Amino acid sequence: MPLLKMASVSILLSLLLMACGQGESNTASGNRLGILHLGNGTDPQELDPHIVTGVPEHNILTALLEGLVLKDPSTLEPIPGVATRWEISADGMRYRFYLRDDARWSNGDPVTAQDFAWSWWRALQPALGNQYAYMLFAIKNAEAYFRQELTDFSAVGINVVDDHTLEVELANPTPYFLQLLDHYSYFPLHRATIEKFGPPDQRGSLWTRPGNFVGNGPFSLTEWQLFKRVIVEKNPHYWDAENVSLNAIHFYPTENITTEERMFRSGQLHRTATVPIDKLAVYRREHPELLHTYPYLGNYFYRINTEMPHLSDKRVRRALAMSIDRDAIVQQVTKGDELPAYTFTPPDTLGYTAPDGFTYDPDRARALMAEAGYPGGEDFPVTELLFNTSEGHHKIAVAIQQMWYKELGIKVNLHNQDWKVFLNSVNGGNYGIARAGWIGDYVDPNTFLDMWITDGGNNRTGWSSARFDQLILEEAPRAETREQRYRLMREAEALLLEDMPIIPIHIYTSKSLVNPAVKGLEPNILDYTLYKNLSLDNLSLDKKSAAELPD
Amino acid sequence: MENPHSATLTQEQGSSLWRDGWIRLCKNHMALFGLGVMVFFCVIALLTPWIAPYGYEQQDLQLGASPPSAAHWLGTDIFGRDMLTRIMYGSRVSLLVGFVATGVALVIGVLWGTVAGYAGGRVDAVMMRLVDILYALPFMIFIVLLMVVFGRNILLLFLAIGAVEWLTMARIVRGQVQNLRHQEFIEAAFSMGLSRWIIIRRHLIPNTLGPVIVYTTLTIPNVMLLEAFLSFLGLGIQPPQSSWGLLISHGVESMEEYPWLLIFPGLALSITLFALNFLGDGLRDALDPRASKD
Repeated sequence: MPLLKMASVSILLSLLLMACGQGESNTASGNRLGILHLGNGTDPQELDPHIVTGVPEHNILTALLEGLVLKDPSTLEPIPGVATRWEISADGMRYRFYLRDDARWSNGDPVTAQDFAWSWWRALQPALGNQYAYMLFAIKNAEAYFRQELTDFSAVGINVVDDHTLEVELANPTPYFLQLLDHYSYFPLHRATIEKFGPPDQRGSLWTRPGNFVGNGPFSLTEWQLFKRVIVEKNPHYWDAENVSLNAIHFYPTENITTEERMFRSGQLHRTATVPIDKLAVYRREHPELLHTYPYLGNYFYRINTEMPHLSDKRVRRALAMSIDRDAIVQQVTKGDELPAYTFTPPDTLGYTAPDGFTYDPDRARALMAEAGYPGGEDFPVTELLFNTSEGHHKIAVAIQQMWYKELGIKVNLHNQDWKVFLNSVNGGNYGIARAGWIGDYVDPNTFLDMWITDGGNNRTGWSSARFDQLILEEAPRAETREQRYRLMREAEALLLEDMPIIPIHIYTSKSLVNPAVKGLEPNILDYTLYKNLSLDNLSLDKKSAAELPD
Repeated sequence: MENPHSATLTQEQGSSLWRDGWIRLCKNHMALFGLGVMVFFCVIALLTPWIAPYGYEQQDLQLGASPPSAAHWLGTDIFGRDMLTRIMYGSRVSLLVGFVATGVALVIGVLWGTVAGYAGGRVDAVMMRLVDILYALPFMIFIVLLMVVFGRNILLLFLAIGAVEWLTMARIVRGQVQNLRHQEFIEAAFSMGLSRWIIIRRHLIPNTLGPVIVYTTLTIPNVMLLEAFLSFLGLGIQPPQSSWGLLISHGVESMEEYPWLLIFPGLALSITLFALNFLGDGLRDALDPRASKD
């Protein structure tokens, strides 16, 4: 008995000692082991690039997969990815890509031109319900194939010349086509893996789970614990593996931004997804070196469900938009140098600036409400304002709720939902007014406009305009000069803002807290990170090298 | 059986447990203080719509978060809403939730526990197994289900919280009653032919009051915090309304920058908690039927 007691006591003691030994913070151990700890805002909806639509998913997918080209994070110019070089025909309609021989999947299989062709074929399968399918409409006949007006895929402008040569024929000269290739809709997928877990056009099949996922990016998926973390580890088969400095990245789905900031402060995270509004001033004052803010090519807006009877009247929608005091919101609520938005496309997107669609004018808004049959907000049904759970969205919603009540006399109820539930509600049209944010997928006004085409996967408002579709899908892509193209796009955006199925609120600023050990992070307006460029400064290594230097 | 002394005896009985208790409570200054504070808070809460300096939803975004000043005694939140007003309106929700939900829990719990404890045997087993089953039911799922079925309604919130909080109360009371039911005074009452209901009402319940009151005073602040948690999940009250719990949970987010947003609602809740505890202690001493009569 005493022996047993002693044994148990010693086991307890050693456990205690071990626990003490683990007092090292995530960032300290991360710097030593080359593990980057990133706040990622929320748990990914899925990891299938043909199903997801969000930024958190983008952050993980760019670590797991790689397209034909990458972007230089400082200039956003295309740089070689799987393709080493490419040729563009004089009329800008044909692209020929030469793929590198040493590109490998994480299981060692070579990455070939067929992989890209097959993945793009999958992206266009109507049964898959890919909301980003329209991204591929730049390719000749892709839209007709997606809409099943054409059943022969060989008529689509994708031509596999040989294992390492891919030719693409476009529907129209698309000046931003190379940028599209770095979007996850254009990433290659490993056919054998997907087919092993179900038909290619089946949603939610198990191929995206850790252990099953086969990617061609610098990292491969090793762990995905719901609402805990996603771990990706360095992929030894990646063609540029020797230049990948990190050994692993841990993504944390911390929805509560106050908690995320605390995690950063206690050394649990190298970089946060955002910064709590109330902490901005504190960091500006006390630790400006940790706070990174930069203009962000994105629009924070509200979608309006135009299929709801009382919201189908465009006068009501315009009144809602015109009664929001955006200056007060950006100065007093968000406080992060955001710009008030009166257009959907951020100003000066590659030289494009849309005309203001409306102004802040509560008197006019009241008059519009009266015209629509709701003078002073009388009889206006109580509407639900839906947002995904986050204090930041909550604050903006509270301010706007009061502005609408004060100016228009209408009542809205605030309702928050978890990200996945929220996306389902919005996709299903199960909302009245819903918070949204749209971040440019590439630097061109088109990324802000082509989402509003009739039944576009990211439209979700029920809004439709034949003239708008014609301008965006047919006239603008055929324009010969940039000036002409922008003129057509301005016309389209004016239509969108006239009908107001959306209420633009502010242009984003990307905000994050970054541990000084993170090196190689280049600020850019897409908040685009090339993970293979990142490295972690190991303090202990620093000391060693410093000691080796002669005094 | 005529008794010549019966007249004087009845007079003696006039000094009932409750009256006795009141006299003893009056001698306990801390308890009186607690009672005073609670009465004060309740009166303020009742009069809020007429005496609040501002509207609870009235924003002044240009002002933003400002520390206490002459115009706003307790400062303003980040939307420029007056904190004093919001705390006053918050007290309406918090006190109401606290009292109503606890009241529901008290009534169900005490009746259920006494009946189970007194009846014993098979009735007791069935009743207490039911309590066990309800205990095992995850609270959150229960509330979320209620909200889904009946919609978001503040009265329902009271009921839902009360419907969950009575379980512990029932167990405590049953334990007490089991202790008491074989004691001589109960046997005596029984042998005198009193009905079960009168025994329960006159003899059992008053004897369980001590622990019940202590537990009740602990339940009230608990319920207030529960309400904050549910509201945070979007299941309780909705903005721009406020409650103390919500004010505190928002205050925590910005406590470094704007400490007054946490301090004042926190103070209101702590004072209530203290007052209830003093009052509870006082009531327990005052209403203990075994305490000697002075």
